[in-house]
Amino acid sequence: MLNDREISIRIQTLKDKMLSSPRYASIEQARIITRVYQENEELSVPLKRALSLKAALEEIEIGFEPEELIVGNRTKGVRYGVVFPESGCSWIDREFETLPTRPQDRFQVHPEDIQEFRETIYPYWKGRSMEDIIRAKDGKHIDAIAKVVKINQKDHAQGHICPDTKLWLELGPQGLKEKAEQMLQKEGLSNDQKEFYQSVILVMEGAKTFMNRYGEMIMASDRDPKLTQVAENCFALAKRPAQSFHEAVQSVWFLFTILHMESNASSFSPGRMDQYLYPYYKKDIESGALTQEEALEIIEALWLKFNQIVYLRNAHSAKYFAGFPIGFNIAIGGVDPEGNDTFNDLSFLFLQAQYDLGLPQPNLSVRLNKHSSSALMQAAIDVVAKGSGMPQFFNDEAIIEPMHHDLGIDLKDARDYAIVGCVELTTHGNNLGWSDAAMFNLNKALELTLNHGVCLLTGEKIGLDLGGLDTYASYEELEDAFQKQIDYFIDEMMKAEVVVEQAHQDCLPTAFLSSVIDDCLVAGKDVTKGGAKYNLSGIQMIQVANLADSLAAVKQLVYEEKKVDPNDLLRALRNDFEGDLVLQTMLLRKVPKYGNDVEWVDEIGAKWAGYFREKMKEYTNYRGGPFHTGMYTVSAHVPMGENVGASCDGRKAGTPLADGGMSPVYGRDLKGPTAVLKSVSRMKDSYTTNGGLLNMKFLPSFFETAEGKKKFETFLRAFVDLEIPHIQFNVVNRDELLDAKIHPEKHASLTIRVAGYTAYFVELAGELQDEIIERTSYAGI
Amino acid sequence: MQASKGLVFDIKRFAMHDGAGIRTTLFLKGCPLRCRWCQNPEGLDPKQELIYFKRHCIHCGACAKEDRGIVFQGGCPHVLDRKSNHDRALEACPAQALQYDARYYTVEEVLKEVKKDEVFFQQEGGLTISGGEPFMQVDFLEELLKRCQQEGIHTTIESSFYTSKDNMKRVLPYLDAIYCDLKILDPKLHQEATGVDNRIILENIQLLLESQKAVTIRTPLIPGWSGTDENIAKIAQFLSGISSDVKYELLNYNPLASSKYHLYERNYGIDPNAKAYTKEEMDHFRTIAKENGIKNLVIE
Repeated sequence: MLNDREISIRIQTLKDKMLSSPRYASIEQARIITRVYQENEELSVPLKRALSLKAALEEIEIGFEPEELIVGNRTKGVRYGVVFPESGCSWIDREFETLPTRPQDRFQVHPEDIQEFRETIYPYWKGRSMEDIIRAKDGKHIDAIAKVVKINQKDHAQGHICPDTKLWLELGPQGLKEKAEQMLQKEGLSNDQKEFYQSVILVMEGAKTFMNRYGEMIMASDRDPKLTQVAENCFALAKRPAQSFHEAVQSVWFLFTILHMESNASSFSPGRMDQYLYPYYKKDIESGALTQEEALEIIEALWLKFNQIVYLRNAHSAKYFAGFPIGFNIAIGGVDPEGNDTFNDLSFLFLQAQYDLGLPQPNLSVRLNKHSSSALMQAAIDVVAKGSGMPQFFNDEAIIEPMHHDLGIDLKDARDYAIVGCVELTTHGNNLGWSDAAMFNLNKALELTLNHGVCLLTGEKIGLDLGGLDTYASYEELEDAFQKQIDYFIDEMMKAEVVVEQAHQDCLPTAFLSSVIDDCLVAGKDVTKGGAKYNLSGIQMIQVANLADSLAAVKQLVYEEKKVDPNDLLRALRNDFEGDLVLQTMLLRKVPKYGNDVEWVDEIGAKWAGYFREKMKEYTNYRGGPFHTGMYTVSAHVPMGENVGASCDGRKAGTPLADGGMSPVYGRDLKGPTAVLKSVSRMKDSYTTNGGLLNMKFLPSFFETAEGKKKFETFLRAFVDLEIPHIQFNVVNRDELLDAKIHPEKHASLTIRVAGYTAYFVELAGELQDEIIERTSYAGI
Repeated sequence: MQASKGLVFDIKRFAMHDGAGIRTTLFLKGCPLRCRWCQNPEGLDPKQELIYFKRHCIHCGACAKEDRGIVFQGGCPHVLDRKSNHDRALEACPAQALQYDARYYTVEEVLKEVKKDEVFFQQEGGLTISGGEPFMQVDFLEELLKRCQQEGIHTTIESSFYTSKDNMKRVLPYLDAIYCDLKILDPKLHQEATGVDNRIILENIQLLLESQKAVTIRTPLIPGWSGTDENIAKIAQFLSGISSDVKYELLNYNPLASSKYHLYERNYGIDPNAKAYTKEEMDHFRTIAKENGIKNLVIE
């Protein structure tokens, strides 16, 4: 049981300050990077990148709050959106003025920044940024397939990475610098290797300076005695590895701040922080240097920090990933390298911190398995009941085995898995997972299969013409054509993937990140070049629920019962069911739907997900690793749905697809949550080695009694037994959401699970708010 | 009625308030009682009936074209005889706006449904048989419970125990837990509220409490009827007189049931504006129960 406790005045003050501070778009680092590039034109990209990060660490304006226990940020202001030119900034040029007024993820702008950006920054990068290079090379092709395959990572550096935080804690910037210096002495290094080590040395020097700058700034101020300790931590960490718990937490935060300064990428995950911070905690508690109360305050200070770095996305991307999620994902509990369930005091303190603060970050995940302790589960359920949408739950029983078996990951590493971004799975500290390589819209592929390769929305031919509903004599013929259509688009997708990965190698080497990903430092190879021990690429299959429903309807009504004439159906799809209410109603109501534990329908979804997964085995990514699949959309089910015309499941053109990734289409699951889980469990674990996502919404009444919480634990244990990879819950009153829409000011801190992440409800666009309100909810029956 | 089949009006999975753990609740159709506040009016008549869901209807009239027992008037179907066969209309309706309120299941078909959620039962959950009144279909009930015992599925019943002692004896050995309703102690008032004498019920409760079974007696609190201080006091005295540690539970009134009545063109027999009791009022009733001898009060 977690406690209802008052958070300290210090933490409350910091929280209030953070929530009330305005968000701005910042060009400060863009200015520094541009200058360093211009001054060092003759140098290689890796060295230019290292020098510009070093310069940013030395020069960027920094600040601190007098109440802070953990300091550091990549801008002086909190929650600033950072403009990052190397990866791509043409969208900034197009959208700069709209940032304060766009529908999703608004930022204030200084007019003089717009001017400077247009006059000095953007002109330099035009044609040189990674985005422009990809566009020049393959832009037309990428656009041509975009409705079926959304290629990602075209305009920003790689995130979704879990660094080796343990190594960072053990060596610190000084230790890593020394290690790079030693490696540089080795005989027979290639030029690339030499430059790699030189780059590591440069960025570690920058990191040390950055830490010292914070110490000096604090010491130069009128300060609280507690802050002297904070300053001393900064000085110490610049020289040596962390020793105390407080230093270790500060060190972790510096690591993540600098990673974001280097890459400005979405999601670097702390991973299994309860495991690697525990030795520091235990030592301090045992020596009496730290109380549990003090430890919790330090943790809460870090939790606030996780909310202070947000990610500036373009308007289109903000729609897919609404609420600027940046994904500091922490995995609590789970099995140890030997396979035994493990947790400690910190696991509980992390949950308590979330219980106290209820903020969108960190993205807290609890790893469950058959032997999970009831105490930890009950504490997690206490947090779920609070309604912030956290923690989400991951299932060791569904994740470890396929990671090991299907991806060839060492069992020890698979057992040490962590989560990056929303629900993407990774090994800890040795993996470039490239987990959001692309999203593959299976429903669009089906649309093209049914309509001679022609888009129902535009009338344009964008796929293969293999026939149509008007020509397929049997369901098997239709399936055959669908398979060919999928094969075609997978092939096209893979061509684009090569271009994108190559551009990352050319434009965005990351020395700092590489120093904390095994085995880059040993090999002298950047992580973008395949220096990591594991090199994966993940493709998301969108969206199995609609696909199963659509194919089930065609199979039953057209080919088996022959109640619907295929020509009529095709005409109805082309007309978006205008004048075809009876037919549309039959599709919606006369055929069972995914999510109701109807095996034959669920198996249609599983069949195609399985086909797609198998197909991935025919390809290898540019770094030499395997492709695999995930089933999650984040909030992309809305824009992905906009690309799909009327579908055979009775869905109107342009409306959202099922949310989540593994969830049924909302409103179609009529048999309650156990039936949903049963349906979802028919998706094999191997389909979701890159991550699966299942959203559920429960009403708060469910959690009001100890008995209810106990039953919820039972529900979670069944989830574990069913080997479903992931589940998350929104616990919120419909009335509260409706009120928050009308009176956002009263609900500023109301957080809600959007998909794989939590966002402030009032900061979401109206459409998305409505959709969340619409999602099915369960109370006890 | 066929002996080997049961008339089932619902199988609800993820039932959270029908006993221990996560359960599946089977609702058997037909009840000898006519409680004025009946929560499941669809469970009263032991026959299959056609019901109409207006919210699903697209007003196409297809049903009336196929089925002479249905007249299409004012854009909506009007069913002339709900209890006759309407298979053709059901088939014709694209929206499933017309549905039978119940269907016959074999024991094995029910078991198959129940087993779908076996993984959720874990240590505690299982099948709860409710109604209607399960004892109205005692042959089916006995056979189903036997099969559950063979399959290791935990079983619970929710019943008024308005049934013969023979029937009780047939079924009791296969039940793991029992919930028995005792609505009103005063015989006259009970007759007026439920249409039957409560003497059989009281005798059966005595037998139940003397058996070694896990029994919980429940009183649904109905404003103006069972929800009076006097009734609760009398029930508490009666129960504690039989067994000093009887498990007793007070169920709050649920006003939502009245919304189902229009489907059956029945009249709700109590004040339609009655509201659920507040936490304070519930505590008040619980205090009365305790003061009158109940030691083992169940509060969920």
